[in-house]
Amino acid sequence: MNRMTPYLFMAPAAVIIVITLLYPLGYMVYGSFRDWDPSQTIGETEWVGLRNYIVLYGDPAFRESLWVTLKFAFWVVTIEMILGVGLALLLDRNLRGMSVLRTLFILPMMIAPVVVGLMWRYMYHPTVGTINRWLKEFGFSGVDWLGQNALLSVIIADVWQWTPFIFILALAALQSLPSSAIEAARMDGATNWKAIWHIKLPLMMPVLIVTCLLRLIDAFKVLEVILVLTEGGPGLSTEILALRISRTATEFRELGTAAAMSGYLMLLLMTLTAAMFIYTKLVERRAQRLARIVAEAE
Amino acid sequence: MRKSLKTLAAATGLFVASMAAAQAGPYDEFAGTTLVVNFPAHPHYNAVMKVLPEFTKETGIEVEVDQLPYLKMRERQTLELGQEDGDYDLIAYVVFSKADYVYADQLENLARYFMNPKLSDPAYDSDDLIDGYVYNIGFAGGKKGYLEGKTGSLFGIPFGSETSILGYRKDIFDKHGLKVPETYDEMLETACKIPELEPGMGGLSSRAASGHHASHAFLLHLAPLGGRVFDDAWKPRINDEAGVAAANALKTIVDCGPEGAASFGFGEALGSFLNGDTAMFLDTTVVAGQIDDPSKSQVVGKVGWAMHPMGVRRGSQTGGFGIGIPKNALNKEAAFLLMQWLTSKKGDKLVAMAGGNPSRFSTHADAEVNAKFPHMATFGEALKHADPDWRPIIPVWGKINADIGTTLSKVLTEDLDVQEALDGVAERAEAIMDEAGYYTWQ
Repeated sequence: MNRMTPYLFMAPAAVIIVITLLYPLGYMVYGSFRDWDPSQTIGETEWVGLRNYIVLYGDPAFRESLWVTLKFAFWVVTIEMILGVGLALLLDRNLRGMSVLRTLFILPMMIAPVVVGLMWRYMYHPTVGTINRWLKEFGFSGVDWLGQNALLSVIIADVWQWTPFIFILALAALQSLPSSAIEAARMDGATNWKAIWHIKLPLMMPVLIVTCLLRLIDAFKVLEVILVLTEGGPGLSTEILALRISRTATEFRELGTAAAMSGYLMLLLMTLTAAMFIYTKLVERRAQRLARIVAEAE
Repeated sequence: MRKSLKTLAAATGLFVASMAAAQAGPYDEFAGTTLVVNFPAHPHYNAVMKVLPEFTKETGIEVEVDQLPYLKMRERQTLELGQEDGDYDLIAYVVFSKADYVYADQLENLARYFMNPKLSDPAYDSDDLIDGYVYNIGFAGGKKGYLEGKTGSLFGIPFGSETSILGYRKDIFDKHGLKVPETYDEMLETACKIPELEPGMGGLSSRAASGHHASHAFLLHLAPLGGRVFDDAWKPRINDEAGVAAANALKTIVDCGPEGAASFGFGEALGSFLNGDTAMFLDTTVVAGQIDDPSKSQVVGKVGWAMHPMGVRRGSQTGGFGIGIPKNALNKEAAFLLMQWLTSKKGDKLVAMAGGNPSRFSTHADAEVNAKFPHMATFGEALKHADPDWRPIIPVWGKINADIGTTLSKVLTEDLDVQEALDGVAERAEAIMDEAGYYTWQ
């Protein structure tokens, strides 16, 4: 067998990856170093080095947008993880009608984001919206959802749509846990809560970390729901980075600046991903240790 | 002899053919052509869709329409116009795209088409087109670079253009003996009196949501109150007395408006008026059709129309859409014929009768159109004061517009001081203008 044979087998996949993944990525990075207007081909544009990155670093609107993105991503992922895992723990049992309930839970994530945005926009409407009408029905005053509470409103909409994603993966992780470990814990007198805290969650952790990472990446890129719900307002209070990038490219026609923003976003996500992977490795080792102890106990 | 007869027959044939060619209609050469056009999802263009079969019947030119939501349309055009061969023969563009497309040399100068006797219809009557619309939407290269003038050229024709008008609830005004506001002071006073007279009802519904909506609403008041965004030397003057008055007017309107007004986009502002939650509506003329549509409106027959109130001057807005031929279009001459037909007296009236916004004075005055849409006469009167310069149409406007809109949104929701907010906008606008080269000659 020729030494080159394995590389020949890999070549088609490598070519596809280069064309579909690395070329657009390289194009974006290259564009971020240029003064690029949509009427120009990238070759016609002027090379400006790091200028776009430096200007953005001092741009208060960009920094505010980055801060809003971090706040949004932190809250949605935290709430979704707690609710998703909590629901999975609650519904991980063989009761009548449970499969129907599980199917119903995953419906929100099947809806197009624009539809989700529109739906919540009407529900949040100050006078004809369902939420304020219910509040008033029960004697409370209406809430200015998309004004004073805009960030909370978009967080609620996102949590509603994406908690099922966490739920499905957490449930799958739960159902793949070795039943012997839990039974052993029970026999040793562990309460339900202790079994969850000391056995189930540590064993689920590798899956939960990947799930959390996927949601985090997604939360940094969410666009349609916020665009439809608040268009980034009031002020810049819900203008997350993806929305600012879209505006910079299409409304301001500054493709170079938009590419540099994407560059910053990519750097941020790569750092987070790297941190999560390191943490995953540590947790995996801990889980393996735990599994070994369980096996030894058996 | 036989040879002479053959020659005579050939000559006769040629003569007949040339006579036939001479008498051919202007559309014959293009019959069978299929034009691809890009229109927005908008009430005017929905009306146009009803009229297009008439064009095909009359000319033999087929029209394929790619109708997209406005923002999607702009995104698509940004990509399409940059290609060597475009997919679109005719596009509708929103007014501030004019600055981008003309500056990037992506729209055809229409002079060469109007100069071509085979294409240009002598009965077109361009003087009948509404001046404010043509200068605002069609012209570039004249005064300030984006208006009409001795150095200007025509790049598009207004089509689906809009001006501002005051809609008011006749029943509410009659019930409380209120006078229809003619001035800004009267309008603001009435707007705040209505919630006291009709608890639960807002005075005037306006757009106010962050970004374009808040900016649009502010600019709507800025021109009548005597302001401009820039002075003649491109220095921002948005923070002068008129600017502060316009921002305060918007704040008053929102404070006395329906619940949640500070987050209203155009849809919510109109919805509030259609639901009967607000007594007045000051915005675009395009809403008239919906207000009279019982399937969409709870105030059919209850709405009266008046001119945009006067501040220190009359100044209704000019906006909406125009149509132009992309530089990279493949069927430019046939596209011009479609553009000319749609904006002709006949086309304009057909579109108006189908529920669209006319672009001609004659259509606004037309008896048949007025019989169907009684508000058209008031709209025509407002158009005499349509201000083509109520907002600047320059390539960097998108960025300044967004800043105005987000800053004013903070004024409306976070109680940011008006003067401080506008000073900040002026400072940032000056930096943007400086970077774009507007002070090179100073």
